[in-house]
Formats: sequence, C-alpha cells, structure tokens
Amino acid sequence: MHTGTPIMTDPATAPPVIQTRAIVKSFAGVQALRGVDFAVHPGEIHALLGQNGAGKSTLVKILNGVHKSGSYSGEILVDGKPATFASTSDARAHGVGYVPQEIEVLEQLSVAENVFAGHTGLGRGPIISRRRMETEARALFEELGLAIDPRMLVASLTSAQRHLVMIARALSFRPRVLMLDEPTASLSGVEVERLFSVLRRLKAQGKTMIFITHRLPEVLAICDRATVLRDGRVAAEIDRAHFDEEHFIFAMSGQKLQRLYPDHVAPPAETPPLLSARDLSIAGRFGVNRGVSGVSFDVRPGEILGLAGLLGSGRTEILHALYGRIPFSGSIAIDGRPVAIARSSDARAAGVALLTEDRKRDGLLFNLPVGANITIGNLAPLSSHGMVRDAREKSAVLAAMRALNVKARSPQASVAHLSGGNQQKLLFARVLMSAPRVLLLDEPTKGVDAGTRHEIYRLIVDLADKGVALVVVASELEEVIGLADRCLVVADGRIVDEFQRGEGSEDKVLRSITTAQAEMQQQALAAGAGRT
Amino acid sequence: MERTVERDSGFEGSGRAVRDRLTRFVAVGEVGVLLALIVLVAFFYIVEPAFLSERNIRAILRVVSFIGIIAIGQTILLVNGEFDLSVGAVAGLSAVCSAKLMTALALPVPLALIGGVLVGAGIGLVNGLVVVKLKIPAFIQTLGMLFIGQGLIQVVTNGYPVYPLPPVITAIGYADFLFGLGWSFVFFILAALMADFVLRRTVLGRNMYATGGNPEVARLVGIDTNRYKIGAFMTVGALAAVAGMFVMADLASGTTSIGSGWELNVIAGVVVGGVSLFGGAGTMAGGLIGVLLLQVVTSGLVVVGVNANWQQIAVGVIMVLAVGLDILRRRYFIAGSSAAPAEPPTATTPS
Repeated sequence: MHTGTPIMTDPATAPPVIQTRAIVKSFAGVQALRGVDFAVHPGEIHALLGQNGAGKSTLVKILNGVHKSGSYSGEILVDGKPATFASTSDARAHGVGYVPQEIEVLEQLSVAENVFAGHTGLGRGPIISRRRMETEARALFEELGLAIDPRMLVASLTSAQRHLVMIARALSFRPRVLMLDEPTASLSGVEVERLFSVLRRLKAQGKTMIFITHRLPEVLAICDRATVLRDGRVAAEIDRAHFDEEHFIFAMSGQKLQRLYPDHVAPPAETPPLLSARDLSIAGRFGVNRGVSGVSFDVRPGEILGLAGLLGSGRTEILHALYGRIPFSGSIAIDGRPVAIARSSDARAAGVALLTEDRKRDGLLFNLPVGANITIGNLAPLSSHGMVRDAREKSAVLAAMRALNVKARSPQASVAHLSGGNQQKLLFARVLMSAPRVLLLDEPTKGVDAGTRHEIYRLIVDLADKGVALVVVASELEEVIGLADRCLVVADGRIVDEFQRGEGSEDKVLRSITTAQAEMQQQALAAGAGRT
Repeated sequence: MERTVERDSGFEGSGRAVRDRLTRFVAVGEVGVLLALIVLVAFFYIVEPAFLSERNIRAILRVVSFIGIIAIGQTILLVNGEFDLSVGAVAGLSAVCSAKLMTALALPVPLALIGGVLVGAGIGLVNGLVVVKLKIPAFIQTLGMLFIGQGLIQVVTNGYPVYPLPPVITAIGYADFLFGLGWSFVFFILAALMADFVLRRTVLGRNMYATGGNPEVARLVGIDTNRYKIGAFMTVGALAAVAGMFVMADLASGTTSIGSGWELNVIAGVVVGGVSLFGGAGTMAGGLIGVLLLQVVTSGLVVVGVNANWQQIAVGVIMVLAVGLDILRRRYFIAGSSAAPAEPPTATTPS
C-alpha cells in the first residue's frame, strides 16, 4: 500500500514543522490534556490516534486556534520558533491548514469561489477576477490530480467531491501542515482509496499532513508516524517501521482507572426476547456516518445490552431508529408482536423510551422549570379533563426527584442552573415516568461527575432487575463492557462481534472493529476493481 | 471525563439566593412591562390630566379590544414557536367576505359571520400547512399571505366598501354597555381569560410551550408538534377574522381598510409584553399588557401634543428595547450552564 520514499528531511537538522510542548488544557477543572508533547516533521503523514475522549479533538482545536493561546498552558512551536494562536485565522497565518470532518461549503457558489472563500480577491484588492480565480483553482486541482471543473456549482458535486473541495480550500492558503480531521469518516472504500491517492500525491510534493482518525487500517496504509493519545497524554509515538496493529491497540486501550460497576446477573438465556430488531438498515449521513445495514438483535427483559463501537459506527442511529426518530427499514417486535414505529409517539406507545445524548440540543426544555421538564409528555395521568392537576403534578415531581436524587431548589427552579449530573438525572426522571419496558440509553453518563456516574450505573442495574430491557451506548468502551450483560460490537453500521459479560475487553473490541474495517476495505476495493 | 460542578447541592449562599430571586422576578415578563405601564400612565397623567379622561380611556380600550383579540392568537402562535404577519389582511378579508355573504348573497347573518370566521381559519390552515409541511419560514409565508390577503380584499370588493349591512350588525357595533365598550370588549376579555387558562393550566398549553421551546424535544416526548403549530395558525386566523368583523360592525360597513397595518401593532405589542419571538416563552397577561402599553404610548403622545411622526418613532424604539431585553433574558437562561465548558473535552460528534 505504502508507495514511494517519503521526502523526509533529517529530523535532526530540520525542526518539526509544528510542535507542542507540555500542553495542559482543562475544562471546568477537568484536565483534557495533561502535558502533551507532539511533533510533526516535514514531509510526513502523521497519524493522531486515540479513543473518544483521549484528547484528540482538544489538541486539534489548540493547533487550529479554536482554543486560543492563554486558555491552556504549554507552548506551540512552528518551525522551531514559538508561536501563539489567538484565533483560527492566526493559526492559518502560521501555516496550519485544517480540513474539518463535517462539510462546510457554500452550495450556491462555484467550486472556485468555494476554494477561495474568504480571500476571493486573491490579495489584489476588492475586485474579484473570476478568471484568475478559476485559473488558480484549476492549478490547485491539478496539483491534487483531480478533474473537478472550478466553474461548477458546488451544489452539483457529490459529498466526497465536496470534501476534496474543502481540502483544496485549505491548500489554497499554502499551509505548512495540513490537518485532516477524520477525513474518511463517511467515505466508501473506493472513495477512501481516491482520497489516499490525493494524499500520496501531496506527500510526494513534500507536504506535511496530520491525519486524525480512529481507523487503524488506514493508519497502516498511509501514515509515516503516529502519535497515540490516551487520557490526555501521549501514550505512544510509533514510527512506521514499528507499525503493528497490536502495538496500536495496546497503546489506545492501555490501563485506565478501574471503575466499579454494580453486579448484575443476566436473565437466563431461554427468556423470550422483549425487543427484537430484524434487519435494520438506515441511510448514512455524510460527514457523520456510513449508515447502518442489516442489523438484527434481541434484548431480553432484565438484560443490559451494550452497543460498543466508535463514533460514526452507527450505534446512536440504531437507538434513534428503535425510537422512531429516523427512518429505517426492517422490522421491530415487542413481546414477539411486530410493532410499526414511524415516530417517537409510536415507540412510546409500545413502551420504548429513549434518553438522548445531547442534553442541550435534544434533552432539556430551557423555557420550562424543573418540574415541567420532568412531566412533559407524561401529563396524562397527572391531569383530568385536559387540565393539569397542580397538586398531583407537584407530588409526582417531588417523588421523581427524590427517587433519582435530583438536587434542585424546587420544582420551579430553572434547569439551566443545574449541574450536568442533576440535569441528566432529571432527564432520567422524565423517561422513567412513563414506566417504559424498553429503555434506550445514549451516553447515559456523558458530562456528569463521578458520584452521579455511579448513581446512574446503580439505577441502570436496578431497572434491569425490575425487568426493563436496556440498550446502552457509550463512547467509553470500558463503560459499555463494564455495564452490559452482553455486548454487540458495531463497526461501520454492522454488528461484527458479540460477547458475554466477562468475556470482553477494550482491546478485544478494538481488534474486532479493526479486523472488520480491514475486511470491508478489501471488499470495497475488490468491488471497485470489479467495476472498472 | 467527569465534570464536577455541583452547584445545586445543599444550601446556597444568601447573595446567590437574592440574585436568583431578582432574576426570577425580572424573568417574569409581565412584571417588568406592568411596571413600565404604570410609570407611563402616571407620566402622561402628570403632563396632561386629560389623558385619564373617561373619553380617552374608552378610546384606548376600544382599540385594545380589537387588536387584543388578534394578540391573543398571536401570543398562542408565538408560544408555539411561529408567528403570523398576515393577521391584518386576514381580518380585513374575513370582514369583507362576511359582509358580501350577508349582502350580495343575502345569507342569514349568523351564517355569514361563521363564513367570515371560516375564511380566517382557512387562511390559518394554509399558513400552517405551508410552514410545517413545506418548511417555508413563517416570515415568508405569512408576509406573502399579507399581500395575497390585501389583493383578495380588492378582488372581493372591487375597491368599494360593502354597505349597508343588516341592522343586526349595526346594532352589535353600536351597543355601548359596559362603560361604552360593547360586545368586542366582552369577547376580548372572555377569549383572553380562556386562552390564559389554556396556556397556564392545561396539558394543551404545556405541550405548546414545549413545542415552541424545542420542537425536537417535544417530538421526542410524543407531542405532535405539526398539529400544534397548524392549530395555532388556525386560531390566530379565526381570531383575526372575529376582530375584523367587530370593526366592520363598529363602522357599519365592510370597509377595505379594515385591519390594514395591524400586524405590526399586534406583534410589537405582544413582544413588548415579553412573549418571545423565539418561541416557548411568554404569557397571555404579558402579551396583552404589552399591547395596552403600546396603545397608551401612542395615545399619550397625542394627548400631550407630540407631533404624530414621533409616535411611530417611539413605538419603534420601545419594541427594539423590549426585544433586546428578551434576548438578554434568553441568553441568561440558556447560558445559565455557562460555568460548564462550551464543548466537553470529549469528542462530541454524534455517532
């Protein structure tokens, strides 16, 4: 796969293109980066690896100026000289080019206008010369070895082509180092190969690149060196000569703080399933995931089923489909009876509840106080003739707050001022009020403190003991493995492995994901070759 | 990666509690606007005692009863997260349609009045369907409907007022019981009380706040937000029709100018009263006090003898100030969790 000798200046003589020293960055007292030394040498493709939460995105945001200098300690060196990035444009001026994961294009403008968006005058004053812009864009695409007509409207391009336009845009600033943030997150195998040929071409021209990913096969295919982050520290820096899957997996998973999970005994295997999903398929969304194809599984009453997978694997989409939030094909049965779930109210009627991942975006109602946030959607038993019975509502709210230990001044308090942990428990109170039989939990402990985290684990196990069927998704593999009676490993929208409590480990999950991804890449390449 | 921002455990410092109580007090939109109203009334009264003359009070309340009927609907719609710029045209169109029904088509008066309400509700239905199903912003759809309605008024009437109307209508318009305010005021008060009850005390009302506050969350808890929004559009349409027909009765004529320019007064009024343009916040009392406040300013400036041009300027300034306050309040509430980082240290793209 790896072609040509990289044009590599001797690292001993040439300083790193970009380097960080002892970067420490905290959010509200929690350290996201704990002293990161990271160096990228001229002419290399440097992989930045790590599990979710390892600190990748924080480091990237420091390198491209989103987190301003001063909001962290440590220093950045560009070509060996200290540099401070006060803004993203500052970082760009220092030669850091950034291609974000999600596509940000101006659809109604031409390719050339998109490439030069922000400097359409090409530094020659306020009047835009369309012809010169197109010529320069064409030259850029030639460098990339691409045949995209700069006059085309971006609206008519495919998603993969738009991504290439964004790479061209980043290159138009003539960066010293190009950061690609999860560039393959939503590309098909053939598209990945096309992107790689572009990257190889850039490398042959002596460009330096940082390739942020969590797909090991791609690192093995194209990168020269890799830095693995774990828990905000550099866990390993690996040269191509020492590239080895095991090595990476060991560095990425490593030993973490051991958390204690409450004991839970899975229901006997012969218990008939409460929820059965058959052949679920969901269309992908560009820049986010590749969709889900043909996923089937059962959950028994009293069972905690974990969906282990990385970002973009499709695990959240599976939950959303079960709750009728996104369209899907396939069938869902509850107690063996098929149910049609086209919208959330159908799922609720069938006894399914969902705890969403993002409290701010699709969890809390900031315009309503604590009490109304808990009872919303559950008002039927608290009302008569369509009128909310204040006394009944208040006692239900207080009972729910007490049961889940939600700490708020009163049911009338604003939800915005609750801590993350209390907000999360409030949302648990909301979803539990309808007494669901199937509970879907998307990142149930995201952004909560250690104490609340444990309360939530306890709650999950208690619910299972009461016969609720639970499906849990969490970014931290260790959490899914620790909580679940049974784990399904999801990669690129497919279930690639399954194991029982006690049989799994983080590196086992990472290994099955990597193996599956490598297989799928091979298949896609074979299919691509078969077509041409 | 846990954050430990345990700010709500146990007892608060007293400074914080006072601050909280203050912000909560200001956050109640109608308190601020009610104070402002009292100050303004006192001011105009001191400058010109005739401001509180029986005649002037009656004149103010009369206008408020017409515009207020629409403001009830507009408040409900805003709580649901949408708004309607076509209400003035809808009021006028419904009035001339019902006038035509009872004159040119010689329908019985009750039937003609129902016809007028149906015109209003029907236009609301169209507005709602287009906004909800075709996802065309309410601003565009209802602005378009404003023009369409104004055009239809001319089409229906050929530009001539419709009169004479049946004597029953004239009688409704001339009724002067209740401090000379008559039927429109009675309807306004009853409708306002009912709407206030619905918003504050019923499941329907609670679900409306959820719909306007965050439609995504509302859908997730099983609320059919589309139906709520369409229903709110129909309500505002029907109420605009009622208001238009009351003005028609008052004038004893289906005049083509009925409702012209009301849309801005209505929206400005309820927004001044703390009903959020962003949906999900505001009360019926607040919205209606806001409408009254704007009317007091307009009338007060006339009474104290300020040039008419300045009245409009005053209304404009007040509205911008009020919306500015609304935005500040929102920012405070949504950013209330600002002690937590804007982006958590973990990657946050949904998987």
